[in-house]
Amino acid sequence: MVMPMSLMAESRVGNIYWTPQNATVNGLATDGILNFIFWLTTSVFVAVQVVYIYYLVKYRRRPGVKAHYSHGNNKLEIIWTTLPTLIFLGLAIYGNRVWYNIHRPAPADALNVEIVGYQFAWDMRYPGTSGVLARSDVRKISLDNKFGIDPTDPHAKEDFSTTELVIPVGKPVHIFLRSRDVIHSFYVPEFRLYQDAVPGRTIAWVWFRTLRMGNFQLACSQLCGKGHYNMKAPIRVVSQKEYDTWYAEKVKKPNIVIGNSSIISQ
Amino acid sequence: MNVSVTPDIDLALDHPIALETHHHSEKKGIMHYLWSYDHKMIGLQYLWTAFLFFLLGGALAMAVRYQLGFPNHPVPLIGRFLPSTLASDDGTIIPGGYNMLVTMHATIMVFFVVMPLLIGAFGNYLIPLKIGAGDMAFPLLNEVSYWLYVISGFFILAAFFAPGGAPGTGWTAYAPLSAVAIYNQTQVGQSLWGIAIFINGLASIAGATNYITTIITMRAPGMTMFRLPLTVWSLLITSILLIFAVPVLSAAAAMLFFDLNFGTSFFKPAGGGQPLLWQHLFWFFGHPEVYIMILPAMGLVSEIMPVFARKPVFGYKAMVYAMASIGLLGFIVWGHHMFVSGMNLTLSATFAVSTMVIAVPSGIKTFNWLGTVWKGSIEYTVPMCFTLAFVSMFVIGGLSGIFMASTPVDLFVHHTYFIVAHFHYVLFGGSLFAIFSGIYFWFPKMFSRMMNPTLGMIHFIATFLFFNLTFFPMHNLGLGGMMRRIADPTVYEHLRQLQPLNVICTIGAFGLGLSTLVFFVNLFYSIFKGPQAPDNPWLATTLEWTISSPPGHGNFPITPIVYNGPYEYSVPGMDKDYLPQNEKAPTNIQLEIH
Repeated sequence: MVMPMSLMAESRVGNIYWTPQNATVNGLATDGILNFIFWLTTSVFVAVQVVYIYYLVKYRRRPGVKAHYSHGNNKLEIIWTTLPTLIFLGLAIYGNRVWYNIHRPAPADALNVEIVGYQFAWDMRYPGTSGVLARSDVRKISLDNKFGIDPTDPHAKEDFSTTELVIPVGKPVHIFLRSRDVIHSFYVPEFRLYQDAVPGRTIAWVWFRTLRMGNFQLACSQLCGKGHYNMKAPIRVVSQKEYDTWYAEKVKKPNIVIGNSSIISQ
Repeated sequence: MNVSVTPDIDLALDHPIALETHHHSEKKGIMHYLWSYDHKMIGLQYLWTAFLFFLLGGALAMAVRYQLGFPNHPVPLIGRFLPSTLASDDGTIIPGGYNMLVTMHATIMVFFVVMPLLIGAFGNYLIPLKIGAGDMAFPLLNEVSYWLYVISGFFILAAFFAPGGAPGTGWTAYAPLSAVAIYNQTQVGQSLWGIAIFINGLASIAGATNYITTIITMRAPGMTMFRLPLTVWSLLITSILLIFAVPVLSAAAAMLFFDLNFGTSFFKPAGGGQPLLWQHLFWFFGHPEVYIMILPAMGLVSEIMPVFARKPVFGYKAMVYAMASIGLLGFIVWGHHMFVSGMNLTLSATFAVSTMVIAVPSGIKTFNWLGTVWKGSIEYTVPMCFTLAFVSMFVIGGLSGIFMASTPVDLFVHHTYFIVAHFHYVLFGGSLFAIFSGIYFWFPKMFSRMMNPTLGMIHFIATFLFFNLTFFPMHNLGLGGMMRRIADPTVYEHLRQLQPLNVICTIGAFGLGLSTLVFFVNLFYSIFKGPQAPDNPWLATTLEWTISSPPGHGNFPITPIVYNGPYEYSVPGMDKDYLPQNEKAPTNIQLEIH
């Protein structure tokens, strides 16, 4: 059974866990703590197993050798309660610091892109040259107003939509995440990012800055129905020049229909 | 028969105990097996029914693994007979069908296999025996609980035959996918699932009530709380968790049923509802649920290890406090399933702290298990092998939990195969290994025969090897970016390179299936043809080993009086290396009080 190796797929890092190579600034901190936890847990595991197996071999039943009658040792209990508690609390603090850093507010000059999931594909909405996405409301989403755009907004007619995410390398990108029907999720392993897209609201705390160019795939990673397994979209991280060219072409032809029927999704 | 309480017994009874056992007529014939007030028969009813569901749940897992290992290949042999909701005409599993297989595999394993085995079977069989009681506090409620479980089983099986098929929303059934018919396209199946969960929950609540009452009020004289075997402690704490957690699931299931069928909007945003409400309700149950599934397993293992190490449990009181901490903390960590759900980010950070802290009591227990084998005299029987392996597998599962407890790492591994690896290590390497250990250990008490040790050792070695072959690579798959619940990983370019790992997991899974067959062959053969077992083949100290195998109706001809803790092995100065709980130590012997 031969699997065609796609030329677009990134090569794996030669690290021990085969993570796909990181592509974002926030991913550096994530990989840092992932590494730390890996070495911590591996050391603990090895130490415990070595001691355990040593005991299992040394204290196997032998004729004439009696087991040692002991109900325990309170001092040991205190040690192996307080020490791990301190370590775990430290780990929690470390993790939360990285968490808050990843979720700090996006820079003001970030590229705003709205990503909307629906059974079973993705729509992206880019702002017009103002850089500001037209005002919209999830409750206005309907069959002929797929983004719920407020038609009275001055930027309403400038936005355009695509089915692929194209972004310039090195620039912060601020994602506005939505769903039209069920819970989907935005997941890009190379970006070390995951966020559920919940219907009925817009989640605005996902942003990232890429470190390198490449082709990636956005994967829906929250079970969303029969087509969940195939709910993907291309992500292209390109040079600023290539992005500018692409953007200039797209912004000339805003393609979003803003109707006003009152059919709303469930 | 009543025994008067004499003044020179060291008693510290919390409550008056019922010395009078229930008198009910013994039924004869087939009714004896179908309707019984005897906790031992009810325990065996749970055992056999759960084993049937185990075979089904395992078969579903095989189908899942086949599709993941060899996507879009027709399933050999049985593929063409699968219903159209699961597979196409030539037997290839279809995407919607894959979701159904995953959903039903998990639902069945959690609610119809692991809980009924640990709590229904072992709980029922062992609690009265180990506390010196004649039966449970509420024998009729006990049997009703079993039949509620069976009825819930009929509903879950019916879901497979519903128009549209079984639900494919995961055992977690997130709304609004599960709450809106046009989104899930399995309205009937999802509804039947909800009914099954609800009725199954009633059985759990009733059973928990029975166990708590029995343990508190029906202990034999001298059986103080700190002389209780750890299995009993684990089931007491588990029962308390059930009482508080299951009603929340029942309420959520009812709300889901209403959203799906009666136009309410608990979870639908268009009607003013909140999708995240389902997740909070489900996981408020769901997290204690996983401790419900591991605590009895820890109890069983803590019971069996001292017998074959011929040593008391190291740190008995610490073990009790650790289990109680796990139970208590288990109620304030549910948000760690929702770090990336859209929940408030600070709330996520708070749950991360409590989640890290809950690792501590599990660590305490692991160190105490190591202390139990330290300077022991270890005999490698089949139950001991599974018990010893439990410790290692549980440690792996627990350590992988540290990764996902860390909020930024969870951003990377959430809903990937890293999670699948984690929970299979604790549920299979943990709970199921403990169940196997318990079966081999108490089989002689239940059936007065011994299981075949050679087949048992083959089962153990094969299971250990194939289990790790199946689930260890899933850590890599998850860190490599493979998501959960996807019918065909090769659809994603970044996952195609990982496909060989999926093949390895699939081969391991088939090996696991074959290993389990060895177990069942041994089980059934030994029931009918196994060598006769003495009343106490393992020379163990707890009360069930002081009576006949199997125990008669009412268990104890004379109510036992308990003088010692449950693990007095290798007491210095004694001739024999164990002191049963109902035997006074010789006058010159000084026991350590734990």
